[in-house]
Amino acid sequence: MSSLKSFIPSWHIWVLAVVAFLVPFLLSKIFARVHAYVKSGGTFKSASARTSVLSPDSSSAAATPFDGDYAADVRSVMDVIGKNSDLTVREFPLSRFDAKGTLFYVNGMQRERELNMRTLEFFMFEATREMLASPPNVKGLLPFYNLKESADVREFSRLVLFGYAGLIIEGVPCGLLIQSPNTSNRAIVEPLSEALLRGPRIGFTEVLSENTSMLRRQGFSDQLEMKSYIIGNTLPKEVVIAYFKDIVNADLLKEVEARISNINIDFLADSGYIEQLIEDNYLSPFQQLQNTERPDRVINGLLEGRVAILQDGSPFALIAPATFSMLLQSPEDYYERWIPSSFLRILRFFAAFLSLLAPSIYISFISFHPGLIPTELVLSIIETRQGVPFPSLIEVLVLELSIEILREAGIRLPKPIGPAMGIVGGIIVGDAAVQAGIVSPILVIVVAVTAISSFSMPSYSAGITLRLLRFFGMVFAAILGMFGTILFFLLLCSHLSRLKSFGVSYLTPVSPYRLQDWKDLFIRAPISLMKKRPAMMKTRQERRQT
Amino acid sequence: MLKSLRKLTGILCVLLLLSGCWSSTEIEDLALYLGLSLDAGKPAPKEKDLERKGARYPKQDKLLVTIQVVPAVGVASNEDKSLEKSSPFFNISGSGDSILQIFRQFSIRLDRPIIGHHLKVIVISADLLKKQSAEQLTDFLLRDNDIRPSCIVLVSEGEAMDVLVGTPNKEIPAVSLIGMSRNRSRTSKVMRPVTLARLDAMIHSRKSFVLQRLITAGKETLFSGAEIIKGSIGQSIGSLGEDDTMCLTWLRGEGDRGVIKVNDSKGEPLVFEMKSLKSKITPHVEGEEISFDVKITTTGRIIETWSKGDTSTTQEYADEASKIFEEELIRMMTQLIHKLQDTYAADVAGFGDQLAIKYPSVWKKVKDDWDERFSQSKISISYKLSITDFGSFSEKK
Amino acid sequence: MFNRTDDKITSSQAAVFLTNTLLGAGILSLPRNVTQAMETPDAWLTILLGGAAMLGIVLLMVKLCLHFPGQTVFQYAGKIIGKIPGKLVGMLLILYFIVVAGFEIRTLAEVTTFFLLEGTPSEAIVLPFIWAGVYLVLGGINSIARVFQIVLPISILVLLVSFGVSLRLFDINHLRPVLGSGFLPILRGMKTAILIYAGCEVILTLTAFLQEPKQAVKAMLGGIAIPIFLYLLTVVFVIGCLSVDSVVTSTWPTIDLVRSFEITGFFIERLEFPFMVIWLMQMFCNFSSFFFQASLGISQIFNVRLKPVIFLLAPAIFIATMLPRSLQDVFTLGDSIGYIGLGMFFLLPLLLTLIWMIRKKGTKGHA
Repeated sequence: MSSLKSFIPSWHIWVLAVVAFLVPFLLSKIFARVHAYVKSGGTFKSASARTSVLSPDSSSAAATPFDGDYAADVRSVMDVIGKNSDLTVREFPLSRFDAKGTLFYVNGMQRERELNMRTLEFFMFEATREMLASPPNVKGLLPFYNLKESADVREFSRLVLFGYAGLIIEGVPCGLLIQSPNTSNRAIVEPLSEALLRGPRIGFTEVLSENTSMLRRQGFSDQLEMKSYIIGNTLPKEVVIAYFKDIVNADLLKEVEARISNINIDFLADSGYIEQLIEDNYLSPFQQLQNTERPDRVINGLLEGRVAILQDGSPFALIAPATFSMLLQSPEDYYERWIPSSFLRILRFFAAFLSLLAPSIYISFISFHPGLIPTELVLSIIETRQGVPFPSLIEVLVLELSIEILREAGIRLPKPIGPAMGIVGGIIVGDAAVQAGIVSPILVIVVAVTAISSFSMPSYSAGITLRLLRFFGMVFAAILGMFGTILFFLLLCSHLSRLKSFGVSYLTPVSPYRLQDWKDLFIRAPISLMKKRPAMMKTRQERRQT
Repeated sequence: MLKSLRKLTGILCVLLLLSGCWSSTEIEDLALYLGLSLDAGKPAPKEKDLERKGARYPKQDKLLVTIQVVPAVGVASNEDKSLEKSSPFFNISGSGDSILQIFRQFSIRLDRPIIGHHLKVIVISADLLKKQSAEQLTDFLLRDNDIRPSCIVLVSEGEAMDVLVGTPNKEIPAVSLIGMSRNRSRTSKVMRPVTLARLDAMIHSRKSFVLQRLITAGKETLFSGAEIIKGSIGQSIGSLGEDDTMCLTWLRGEGDRGVIKVNDSKGEPLVFEMKSLKSKITPHVEGEEISFDVKITTTGRIIETWSKGDTSTTQEYADEASKIFEEELIRMMTQLIHKLQDTYAADVAGFGDQLAIKYPSVWKKVKDDWDERFSQSKISISYKLSITDFGSFSEKK
Repeated sequence: MFNRTDDKITSSQAAVFLTNTLLGAGILSLPRNVTQAMETPDAWLTILLGGAAMLGIVLLMVKLCLHFPGQTVFQYAGKIIGKIPGKLVGMLLILYFIVVAGFEIRTLAEVTTFFLLEGTPSEAIVLPFIWAGVYLVLGGINSIARVFQIVLPISILVLLVSFGVSLRLFDINHLRPVLGSGFLPILRGMKTAILIYAGCEVILTLTAFLQEPKQAVKAMLGGIAIPIFLYLLTVVFVIGCLSVDSVVTSTWPTIDLVRSFEITGFFIERLEFPFMVIWLMQMFCNFSSFFFQASLGISQIFNVRLKPVIFLLAPAIFIATMLPRSLQDVFTLGDSIGYIGLGMFFLLPLLLTLIWMIRKKGTKGHA
């Protein structure tokens, strides 16, 4: 009996047992709450109207229609937008029949020469009453290829301010929108964030129609389908979903469409907004949609059975679903020959590992396990660390944080100053810190290698994620050494294994083992071998057409 | 929810504070010892003064432990003040009855805790090994979690702590000992290093074994010969010379390097450099009689000769020379076998292992007094020495 | 939905799941346990024989499970031997899983405090480990299997590299003579050689999760073949490098093996670092597997939701971990787990199969 009694643990074990229960329980509760809170959009329950799915030629319900009286119509348009100083209003007579018309346009959004020579000339001297007699005729008889009618004053006004040239003509009971906006656009340049040495140099721009045309121009196909959505409550914008209708999985498409049309937001400044609004897990540090500036990358994604989301005003397209392996793949892998590409890819996995764990490993070695590193290394580390006043965690944090700040500053600075600051910051400060004995030279090497590794990620967002996670890893390492580092890695793996992007597990090609998907994971097999589309996408066609 | 959040933060903070990183010590706050020497007990020179002033604890001074601590920076020790300041290491000695107790005693003499993760060499003095068994001496070293079983064990003729003294501003003696033990690729006088892991196995098998012996004179240390540890008592019973050690290494098939020097007919040196050597021990059992056949096959080249003129590169000459070398090899081997069988009665050449493999049942019967049986068994050795080349030198006819 | 809503695993995942459940604490102490029982270098033969026996047992378990497609032992035990006894058997299994999970973590804590974190209280090692386990197990069998599939290749790679590098110490004479003392020691060692497979009861639940039950036999045999092979390799290398005499006196002979050499000039001069890393990861898998099985059992027997059970099991496992008072207790516990395990993975399926067959015959006779 007494021997049995000695097995009963002491009270603090029981207390810790309660802790063992409470910590994960509360954490999971809190996370669930926070997730639900974020998902519901904070305080406001989505009482306001759902996305107004209006394409330019469909009118919204809550509106003031044109009443057919010319003067009243012009007045009502002027009431809405007349106070804008950049609005040009030109009234003109239609000489072939006794009527008047008014042309509205915003300065700088139309080619004025064209407006004068074609449009005004036509209406003033050629247009006949028959042409404008009844609404059904209008479309057919006017010589404008891009002609929209608007029955709603507000919509008409909105589109005029968006850049269309608008016309109100006596006797026509609706507004006519004749010229689509022609604003000055940025030139098509090489994608800045995903530069390649080899491969197409074209990158998306801020104009949706140009972007979609770039996708179309990738090849002849009648299967590439694009669906347009107008999203935004205050300042609506056009969003396009692109996919190959004979490849994409129907369920995936449905899911993407549902999520897109459920977006409830004032204004989409960039496709980053969409990404954050439709992702699965708001609390994960990993991106669940891939963003890219490269049309070739998008098209390759589409051919694998993914769906792309493009937004007007953003040069970044989103590809869904994204998986972990995509973060470490660069389109160049496919353009170079397969052996060097495979090498680079393995190198990138290694770099990802380094950028994630190198500082943690440094901390665990320096502070916890001097017995696990080679003797010579220990001796030189001890020598270099003499006089360093901080424990390794602080030391690493100081340097890592300053590198992060440097990087951040380097992005903000104008191009001519950036590199100079890199030199000042990196070399001078680093060297001075070593000289002053605040950090050890070995650490400078570790931090530099880490930073460079994180820049080698083909995707900028993935680099940020890894850099962020690195700090968590360092805390784990500072508390439990190697054990903590491993725990951190395992937690990360657990998180990744639980994470899903549009129903596809984030780790998919890594696990479960599927030989055919592995051909494009750690190595990049010869192209002739990659005959099948990724199994994880559950595409309609399994095989690529050969 | 806010409440539970606050509670949770509290718990986490407490945990983090509690943790305080229990096991964390910065690497520069540790003192690594690379070398460890064990001597027969007597107070260390510095210790004597300390003890006279009253720094004493009850002990019988069974052994004297010296450790070689690196790096020497910033250590407030009055030990080895004589050494120049830039010396990369310092030694500290203490006497007592248990290694761990002495180690802990170092903790009240040093400003940094000592850790044994990087212990590379253990030197035991032959005198101590004659008094205490190897098992007793290495027990702590094997149990300790810091010390890796990969560190090598050496025996020193004379004081073991002298081996660790070294010359100031030169390489750390413990490291240079490791370097020397790698010279196996040049001469078989350096035996296959005995690591703690191997020592453990040898001690527990109760077979006799040899440990590399060091001799120190002045401040120079060299590998010279081997110390024989008798399995049954675990203590040293004597030593082998350099040539015997080389032959032993050859016999055990653990090395095929070395030179054989003979004097030719004119009394001038003639040198054979070994290129390869194979040794095969075959046990035979007839009734109670145990005998061994050893076959040694070696090839090599003539690499140096002092006699003028008449050396030629013909096959005849090679045959003739190899006869002379073979005789020398036979002499050396016979001397070794004689020492093993008659002088020390200790099988350190692995004859017993071969018997155990070939005749496990016989081995079971004889293994308890194997060394005695070994000294009585008959060993016949057959040699085959051939000279394959004469180096990059050709005699003109 | 686009993804599977039912939590099923592929056969490769099932195989890896089984492997990771088996490869745990045993790999460190196995060479000593077997050698202590045998005192001859023939341990590798024992492992082979034990492995062969295990193949048979695994086959038996899979066959039993295949009678009840999509059901775990907790569900079908009741159908075979009646509701109450079935629940009792299920509870016994659950208790066993909890104790094993506790045992694994305790071993981990012991080894970690000894080699890595001297001075850290073992609670501080155990608690975060359990929490990480909770997080993984909450993800369901699919997530668990995915993590296993990441960890296992790394483990095997490091293990093979460690053994490959230790070839320099390898001496074939340490493994000779073969059968020098006849067959008797081999039989003595068989006990330990089978006990290390404690944990393969997971087959009884695992089969239910298979996407394609047809491949169950193949998957499970594959899953057990990997640990058999790795155990064999471990024993051969540890004994071949350290010799029997050294192995019997070493507490963790496999760690001693990787500690007994240094690869100079290599960045990772000391292989115990990668070795400990993979071992810790392997222990995590091991523990998560038992954790999952136990919580699954409770939720199925008492018909409650899985999630709260997982949270509630965490303290139970923690207490199970803290029960042994010393390392000696841990080893004793390990031995008894082995014996109970033998009952669980050998007698239980055997009995269940027999009763099932008798009852089936009986009903057929009536009909």
